[in-house]
Amino acid sequence: MAGALMLTTALLASACSGTGGGGESSQADANTITFMTQLFGTAPNPQGELHQAIEKFLGKKIKVTWVPNADYPEKVNVTLASANIPDVMVVDPKSPAFGKAAEAGAFWDLTDKIKKYPNLVGDEKVLLNSSINGKIYGPYRTRPLLRSAVMIRADWLKKVGLEAPKTTDDLYKIAEAFTKKDPDGNGKDDTYGLIIPKWPGTTFAASSPFNVMDVWFGAPNNWGERDGKLVPEFDTPEFFEANRFMKKMIDEGLVNPDWNTLDTAKWNDPFVQGKGGIIIDVDVRTTQLLDLLKEQDPQTYGDKVLTVGNLARPDGKKFSLPFSGYKDILAVSKQRVKTEAQLDELLKTLDKLASKEGQVLLTNGIEGRNFKVENGEAVLINQEDPKVKQVQDDVDKAFIQLGTQASTGTTGIAYPRVPPEAPYRKDLAERKERVAEDLKTAVFDPSLPVVSPTAVAKGATLNPIVTDARIKYLAGQLSEDELKAEIKRWYDGGGTQIAQEINDLVAKLGQ
Amino acid sequence: MATDLAPPPVKAAKVAGHKPDRARTLWRYRWLYLLLIPGLAYFIVFKYVPMRGLQIAFQDFVPFLGYNGSEWVGFKHFVDLFTGPDFGRLMYNTLYLAFLNVIFVFPAPIIVALMLNELRINILKRSVQSLIYIPHFLSWTIVASLTYILFSVDYGVLAGWVHEILGGQKIDYVAQPDWFRPIIILQTLWKTTGWTTIIYLAALAGVNHELYEAARMDGAGRWRQLWHVTLPAIRPTIVVMAILMSGNLLDMSFEQIWLMTNNLNRATADVFDTFVFYVGINQGAFSYATAVGLFKGVVGVLLIFGSNWLAKRLGQRGLF
Repeated sequence: MAGALMLTTALLASACSGTGGGGESSQADANTITFMTQLFGTAPNPQGELHQAIEKFLGKKIKVTWVPNADYPEKVNVTLASANIPDVMVVDPKSPAFGKAAEAGAFWDLTDKIKKYPNLVGDEKVLLNSSINGKIYGPYRTRPLLRSAVMIRADWLKKVGLEAPKTTDDLYKIAEAFTKKDPDGNGKDDTYGLIIPKWPGTTFAASSPFNVMDVWFGAPNNWGERDGKLVPEFDTPEFFEANRFMKKMIDEGLVNPDWNTLDTAKWNDPFVQGKGGIIIDVDVRTTQLLDLLKEQDPQTYGDKVLTVGNLARPDGKKFSLPFSGYKDILAVSKQRVKTEAQLDELLKTLDKLASKEGQVLLTNGIEGRNFKVENGEAVLINQEDPKVKQVQDDVDKAFIQLGTQASTGTTGIAYPRVPPEAPYRKDLAERKERVAEDLKTAVFDPSLPVVSPTAVAKGATLNPIVTDARIKYLAGQLSEDELKAEIKRWYDGGGTQIAQEINDLVAKLGQ
Repeated sequence: MATDLAPPPVKAAKVAGHKPDRARTLWRYRWLYLLLIPGLAYFIVFKYVPMRGLQIAFQDFVPFLGYNGSEWVGFKHFVDLFTGPDFGRLMYNTLYLAFLNVIFVFPAPIIVALMLNELRINILKRSVQSLIYIPHFLSWTIVASLTYILFSVDYGVLAGWVHEILGGQKIDYVAQPDWFRPIIILQTLWKTTGWTTIIYLAALAGVNHELYEAARMDGAGRWRQLWHVTLPAIRPTIVVMAILMSGNLLDMSFEQIWLMTNNLNRATADVFDTFVFYVGINQGAFSYATAVGLFKGVVGVLLIFGSNWLAKRLGQRGLF
């Protein structure tokens, strides 16, 4: 009973107002725009310099509900169920709760309108990816299309006398050497190769190190064509090939023993503390690693991280894992923005915010105050001044989340920010080459624009089946046959229907 | 005030004539009724009004459309639940944990209270009592973090000791489905036993000392006294506690289990409470989650009535 009541209490607030068009008190104020988005630090003060600068630029007041990143998906679901949906909400368009709300008419369908606002369109392919079966509910927040990479302790690699890896076999050899050859030279058997954290969530293709390796071995990226039909990643021989490879590494102790409980927030720790030597993740992690290693030793930190791109499988064929190119969209609430005229007004403002000047404000800050432009790059200035530091924090930990055409990586229209130190500059230069190279072998996910209704309805119970089964297989709790049986259970429980729907929907979109 | 609360003097005339009318009784006990209002309001606002929301278990609830706009689907979500892959596992895990709770957690405070009761050194008794109820004030988050620190395979202090002493393979206690239940029960014991002991100690304090003296006169030793005097004296307390517990039998401590769940032990760890949260708040399937919660609630109510009935059949006084 407690559970049901907990839910219904949370939903009670929505009871009165959720009447298909909104309550009386939710009338939007034409001069104020309310937002909800993620937060990575402390919430900026509305009286703060940056907040004020943005309001001045837009000629409108803004009110942002900042939600700590870790709680965001839950907060979104609770907000969707309440009467307090903001004008503009940063939201994952593929989440079931959003899909249902959008279908019921809680958000504006911008498919035919968004093209009128040049700054909001972005890349048409990515825009389609961020849609629900072709219906676009808002401008997407751009992210680099290819970010998967391998980070390796360069000093260890030198110590054990190995080269940068090109294939998964090379990776295995490095992991083995890192585990057995005492790469830190302390005479103790206290190191391992690959560092894998507990992968949170139960969505299968969640860009985990496991998914990266699946694709390396030639499995589809989430969904892919086999004999003219789309099948999920885990229903291919290559998936099992990849998992055998990973299981071997885990069984032989080349992976951190706590790989299924290590908190993702502590992912960098073993690398920096010299316990493990390989991380497979997004390439921006290199910057974090450099930051941490620099704290340890400002002299030699540049020699400690080597980042390489996607790896080829044993037979030399290479496949790279691209990402969706976006992270969340900015959806416009119909409850608050009621008329087409209001919508037009709001989209104009969002378009202005997505212009170069607006994106610079959100991603770089205030020119001449916390940064200056040199050779087309943003260089931080006055960082010792606590007030400027505040502006910088407000940018980095908060407002950057509202940027649609900006990202901390190398994508976007704002100024790229490059630290002055050589190792960072070197990494960034290499990253561009790497990405260009890997894009040639990128395996795209054809199912990105579509959402299967069955997956929405039954996802909650279906999703954990295969994610958990794979982890259990890797941990040695399930045999390969039992893993196959679990996959069959997924199909029987509704997966067959999902596959059918995905195939139909993708065919209908004419991709 | 005090005089108002005192029962009214019985008037001779009343006994002879008609019944006192309702309004007059109400007026006479007005202060008592006034005292009732806040409590009543609490239950209405926080317990009964939200029950209106239970209707979404029978709808395909979309918050934007509200209670009135959402489509009615009858028992669809219940059918999905009972025929779905989760039901058996949830039921099994929940009942299994409930069973372990009955076996290990329920008697623990009784045993501890009896043991403390036998202690004759007062200062020792007091300090032990204080020490064991301190964990009650720690949050589950802290308890879970402690468990991870002590038992995780790479950094765990205790896990390391066990490995050193017993040898063999290093065991990742916090990720093994087999270890999930023992860990949960140990955590619960550690956190709750001391606190619940207080109730039994209070009951023990009320036992008439003459009974012990009489028993001693009859030649009863310590064990005999315990069996024939102490235990019967606190039996009503035990029965009431048992009935109260039976209603919450399916209420696992949500936070505790949620914090200890991971991909590897999910099959063992999922109980109704965590499932409702995961499906409802995390995945946004409000209607389905409510159906699950409602089912659990109904079972809880049945259990309360059942155990109450059983208590009466066994010759004890029930709750109602």
